[in-house]
Amino acid sequence: MKLRRTGAFAALSLFLLAAGCGGGGGGENGAQNNASSGSGASAPPAGNETVKLTVASWNSDQNFVDMWKDVQDALNKVYPGIELDYQPVKSTEYNTALNTALRTNSAADIIQLRPYGAGQAIADAGYLEPIDGLQGLDGFKPDQLAAAQGSDGKQYGVPIMLSSTQLFYNKDIFDKYGLKAPATWDELIAAAETLKKNKVTPFAFGSKEGWVLSLTHGAIAPVFLGADFPGKFAKGEAKVDSPEFVKSIEALKSLTPYFPNNFEGLGMDDIRTMFATGQAAMVFDGSFEIAAIQALNPDIHIGIAPVPSPSGGQPSVSAWVDGSYAINKSSKQIDAAKKVLQFMTTKEFGTIVLQKAKSISPVAGAASDDELVSELAKLSGGNASPYFAVTNLGYGDPTSKVTLENSLQGMFLGKLTPDQVAKEVQKSVDTWFKAAGK
Amino acid sequence: MEQTQHDRPRRRWLTSGDRLIHLFPVPAVAVYTLFVVYPIFAAFTYSLFDWKGLVMGRFNFFGNFRTLFTQEPFNRMFRNAFSHNLFYFAVELVVQNVVAFVLAYIIFRKVKGAQFFKIAYFLPRLLSIIIVGFMWKLILNPNMGVLNVLLNKIGLSSWTHAWLGEPATALPAVALVNCWFGIGFFMLILLAGLQSISPEVLEAARLDGSRGLGYIVSVILPMMFQPLVIVAVMTFLQAFEAFELVFAMQGSLGEPYYSTDLLAVFFYRTAFGSNAGDTGNLGVGSAVAVVMFFIIATISGLFMAFVNRRQAE
Repeated sequence: MKLRRTGAFAALSLFLLAAGCGGGGGGENGAQNNASSGSGASAPPAGNETVKLTVASWNSDQNFVDMWKDVQDALNKVYPGIELDYQPVKSTEYNTALNTALRTNSAADIIQLRPYGAGQAIADAGYLEPIDGLQGLDGFKPDQLAAAQGSDGKQYGVPIMLSSTQLFYNKDIFDKYGLKAPATWDELIAAAETLKKNKVTPFAFGSKEGWVLSLTHGAIAPVFLGADFPGKFAKGEAKVDSPEFVKSIEALKSLTPYFPNNFEGLGMDDIRTMFATGQAAMVFDGSFEIAAIQALNPDIHIGIAPVPSPSGGQPSVSAWVDGSYAINKSSKQIDAAKKVLQFMTTKEFGTIVLQKAKSISPVAGAASDDELVSELAKLSGGNASPYFAVTNLGYGDPTSKVTLENSLQGMFLGKLTPDQVAKEVQKSVDTWFKAAGK
Repeated sequence: MEQTQHDRPRRRWLTSGDRLIHLFPVPAVAVYTLFVVYPIFAAFTYSLFDWKGLVMGRFNFFGNFRTLFTQEPFNRMFRNAFSHNLFYFAVELVVQNVVAFVLAYIIFRKVKGAQFFKIAYFLPRLLSIIIVGFMWKLILNPNMGVLNVLLNKIGLSSWTHAWLGEPATALPAVALVNCWFGIGFFMLILLAGLQSISPEVLEAARLDGSRGLGYIVSVILPMMFQPLVIVAVMTFLQAFEAFELVFAMQGSLGEPYYSTDLLAVFFYRTAFGSNAGDTGNLGVGSAVAVVMFFIIATISGLFMAFVNRRQAE
């Protein structure tokens, strides 16, 4: 009977659907030390063979893959016999992949941690080996170390990269129209007007991917919020639905006339391409994008500028620790992994990060011969504001950062006003926020 | 050696290989149990517990379901995703199946090159759906995608859109891509149905002077009851399990602004965390999966009951 078979088929499909729920595995606590097979923690070596360590990361661009080859060579000068197997995952899939690997006890030996809230959740779940007292940790600033601590106050990760978000501009286009890096907000708008008149898209921007919105807002917001806003927020003295926060969202919205056509449908790939190929003259972007932009167009002359203030205050670059490396508690190679983490606190490692990843290293004294990276390091080392969405909004379920991103998306699609965006985020904050010291 | 009546059946049982036959399903059943049956029970179990990040916590009876249906933003997202699944189902039912029927009918009427068309229409189905998603993402790209470039070339610049970036067009665009992907498969089912109608009946109807649309509606469709039901049930399942295409084209957040969110995407994001750096909540995620299971089971069951009753008549 054909139909009976359809019934069976339907039932089977149901089961297959529900099978999706099993992906999380047995939910065992990472503290259990049962060995795993496959791509997980490596088995202990016999005798004096090399120790193999797997490294999980979301930096999947080619320049990072190349960087880890250099790290391998430099590491072996100090610690011979440690072999690193770098296993990058696409950034947007990393968290999901890592959570699944941790639950099924098949995660790498050395794990890249998202900063603040998301990394803390993994530490609090007991999956990581504390590294307090590791030689070289004292070289970092306290607020950098805070990005990789559990709520128990223990240190779990070594900060690897600082990222910053600011204004990039195409120097050649600016020269062509006699423009210079804007010193005030009004100059920024005037430059955008000039470019628009000359049929050049002023800002490469798109609202299809939520994280691009918090990144862009993160660059603009500090000059409207004031540098002390994150601190006041943590103490419970300032709220997200405050007038200054609404103003920062309005400022982002006020740039709409200078965005590309159909910007609602553009993601980071499109934004990067537009800026690299000179279709757009400016972009609010993260420092981690520089290498990718240069890869698309090696001849581009990128200028970097802090975002100018509307009221004549200090211009601002938002900087934050964008990831750290921690040790999987169920790794069979904790001692070797600690050696690798210790190497990550050294100047040699910091210099490789600067040179190869074109990212700013939090290691004191790391130097780069790349003019652009040095300039970035100077800007974000000097008068940097915290990147509020990452440092303060990465909590809740879904996180308040995600709520901010989606609400901003809604704003650009005409569904929410800036005021409603701030209210949505505040509503999300109210579900988890406890003022510090209370 | 002489045989008695008594041991003849036993001997046949031993020698004819019948017994081995019973072992053949074992690998399949084992795989099925491991990857299907166990996860279902796991999901049911997970949905009844609290989760602290990645660690299983207290038993919490229906707490996760309460969260799902009463707490912002979960309740809003659930309603939103559910309505999108219904929309998806409607689009597939109408666009995909009507087009599939028309194509099947044309091939059935033996146009020139029917065999070629049959293969050509089925080809998209052979691509990985993730590849299909990325390919259409490029085609629909607002500034360099083929579709908008084409519209500009033929002077319809006003028709260009950020197809996947505007809530009004994003979900219909994804649904239509899904139709494009599915048409070939449903066409084959319907073609098989057409070919199983007895030629005498069609002949008789022809002699009675039945032609055109009337012929299709009053003669062919009633004879196609079974395949049509199969197609309807499968369309329903496909629409309520849909995940890959939205995931490939719009990410795990059903962007923009949750306008392409579907139940399965909502489940994935809630259980395993989204790409925006949250860790997810396995309890509520599993609750979503359990609710989906009941929705699909109930509606499929009603479908089957209706069909069986009609057959009895």
